[in-house]
Amino acid sequence: MATILINHVYKRYSSSKHAVVSDFHMEIKDKEFLVFVGPSGCGKSTTLRMIAGLEEISEGEVYIGDRLVNDLPPKDRDIAMVFQNYALYPNMSVFENIAFGLRLRKLPRHEIDQSVRRAARALELDAYLDRKPSQLSGGQRQRVALGRAIVRSPQVFLMDEPLSNLDAKLRVQMRMEIIKLHKTLGVTFVYVTHDQVEAMTMADRIVVMKDGLIQQIDTPEAVYSTPANTFVAGFIGSPQMNFIEGRIQKEPTGRLAFHTSRFAIPLPQDIAAMLERHGLIDKRVTLGIRPENISLEGLYSDAVITGIFKLDELMGADRYLHLEIGQERLLVLRVQAHIRAVEDEPLRIVPDMSKALFFHPDTGVRFA
Amino acid sequence: MRLRLWRRASRLHAMDGFQKVLLLLMIVLSVFMLLPIVYIFNHAFKPYHELFVYPPTFFVKEPVLQNWNELVAVTARSTVPMVRYLFNSVFISGLAVLLVTAASALCAYPLAKHRFPGYKLVFAAIILTLMFAPEVVQIPRYLVVSQLGIMNTYFGHLLPLMAMPIGVFLLKQFMDQIPNALLEAARIDGANEFTVFLRIVIPVCKPAVATIAILAFQSSWGNTESSALFMMDEEMKSFAFYLSTLTNNLANNVAMQGAAAVAALILFVPNLIVFVILQGKVIATMAHSGIK
Ligand SMILES: Nc1ncnc2c1ncn2[C@@H]1O[C@H](COP(=O)(O)OP(=O)(O)OP(=O)(O)O)[C@@H](O)[C@H]1O
Ligand SMILES: [Mg+2]
Repeated sequence: MATILINHVYKRYSSSKHAVVSDFHMEIKDKEFLVFVGPSGCGKSTTLRMIAGLEEISEGEVYIGDRLVNDLPPKDRDIAMVFQNYALYPNMSVFENIAFGLRLRKLPRHEIDQSVRRAARALELDAYLDRKPSQLSGGQRQRVALGRAIVRSPQVFLMDEPLSNLDAKLRVQMRMEIIKLHKTLGVTFVYVTHDQVEAMTMADRIVVMKDGLIQQIDTPEAVYSTPANTFVAGFIGSPQMNFIEGRIQKEPTGRLAFHTSRFAIPLPQDIAAMLERHGLIDKRVTLGIRPENISLEGLYSDAVITGIFKLDELMGADRYLHLEIGQERLLVLRVQAHIRAVEDEPLRIVPDMSKALFFHPDTGVRFA
Repeated sequence: MRLRLWRRASRLHAMDGFQKVLLLLMIVLSVFMLLPIVYIFNHAFKPYHELFVYPPTFFVKEPVLQNWNELVAVTARSTVPMVRYLFNSVFISGLAVLLVTAASALCAYPLAKHRFPGYKLVFAAIILTLMFAPEVVQIPRYLVVSQLGIMNTYFGHLLPLMAMPIGVFLLKQFMDQIPNALLEAARIDGANEFTVFLRIVIPVCKPAVATIAILAFQSSWGNTESSALFMMDEEMKSFAFYLSTLTNNLANNVAMQGAAAVAALILFVPNLIVFVILQGKVIATMAHSGIK
């Protein structure tokens, strides 16, 4: 059993009063694959390192299983960690790197030999056991780092951006290997990344952080479709969600519509009801809509926006069109690659308003 | 063999003009550095008329072993057998290499990686001591050694050597380069602080450790000060001191110059051997360290 309880944890570095991690509170479930994601400097690594015992906890408690580990050194926490820059021991062979932890535990030699070889086979490192880390490629090094973590069969795996030094293709491959590893080992994984694709593909649950504060803890689907605020909405998803500033108004017909200085879009019943419940009529709101939820004008629609086509980006199967719609930022929509548009010509588009999200214009919190 | 030569040549081709000039300069410089060594080796085999020839020559014209016989004759006359001096020196130097590197590394590690309160002050103090000429500290050294009551013991030879600020400095700079993640990985693997130090930090710092071993050996092997100041009994004195008495007492004496030339060679050769052995290590570890 390795649930991890992080109970209102704070981290302050002595050099500054301000907390780099504030009131971090959550329970990581047994066998869960949890991903911390957030922009650089948001405190992901710091939180992970507090779980590992590499960083002192300024305030609050961390429990691994049912043990309070605040004052436990890393080696007694039954964890393994994989670092961004691999952190392989340069003076030891691959075999010795993997065996190091077992040797320190004074396991009998044949047992060490067996576990190292088993791990090496699983990670396809058999051929490199005698090499020094400097004689390996980046991907091989990262596999050695994984092997070193596996053989110790810990309760918890901690990984701090383990794939960020690899090239794109290798990253995808290693991502799969780590997912497979999680399935076969059946232990708790805590994984740090600033790459939202990694977070979406690997996680059971995602923790989105910003400036040391948790923004949202949820499944990848929920984080994507019902983000807690504009930060999460903008951080998860590529291309970014479109944000449109406007106002909710009641039409003479009695329907609610979203108005900007340029256009008005009628809102579907259920969303209108929700907005009414929050008392948002005649109030400013931020509308959020993902690029894939906007299409070019269809046969019938009452929610049409006219924008001026500015530029496009071809992404293989898809093409991103950027449109000027009288907002600070260009509106982006995702269409099929064969669709072309003429620069500076108007283009009529239809947002799928049933997928639209509404946020508080100042705090950024989503209305639900 | 031909392949290697060819590869050498091709590497020469790959150099641009500046690199070629630099290479030439380096060759000239290293030949120049080599001259004293050539001189020491040749000097030991010169007959008397060549020892005093003016201007002095680098290369011996008619090599003889007469100087060696002279040294043997001189040492035969001394009250303590020469091997005793030799034993003292080997023993002291061996221990000094171990103790100096150990002390320097143990001092450098917390300075580099533990950042205890006041580490800057401690490090600054160590750097400051680099500025003192050895003569300045002779009297304080004498006081320390005599107050500790270790006059006339091997420890009296060793203690003054053990504080080697340049060693601490060199190792600290080297240890600064070790990524913290490496030490953290070891701690998570279950290593305690001493294991981290011994199994990770020291091996990674091997080039620096080897350099310090060379320095420590040289400073203890050639050391005459502790024998002159702290040792009363002739049996406790070092080989270097013994050889210096052979020559110093007779500085303006023609009679012993041949023996002195041989003595200089004998004193020099172990330095060369230690250097050659460890220097190989320095380069090998540099190439394989794999630290990014
Ligand atoms: N030793 C330290 N002393 C003072 N501040 C620190 C220290 N280490 C990190 N910080 C600060 O703590 C904050 C969080 O750092 P952390 O390393 O957790 O960020 P991160 O989310 O992992 O970012 P990245 O994606 O760039 O790795 C940063 O603002 C950083 O400047
Ligand atoms: Mg980080």
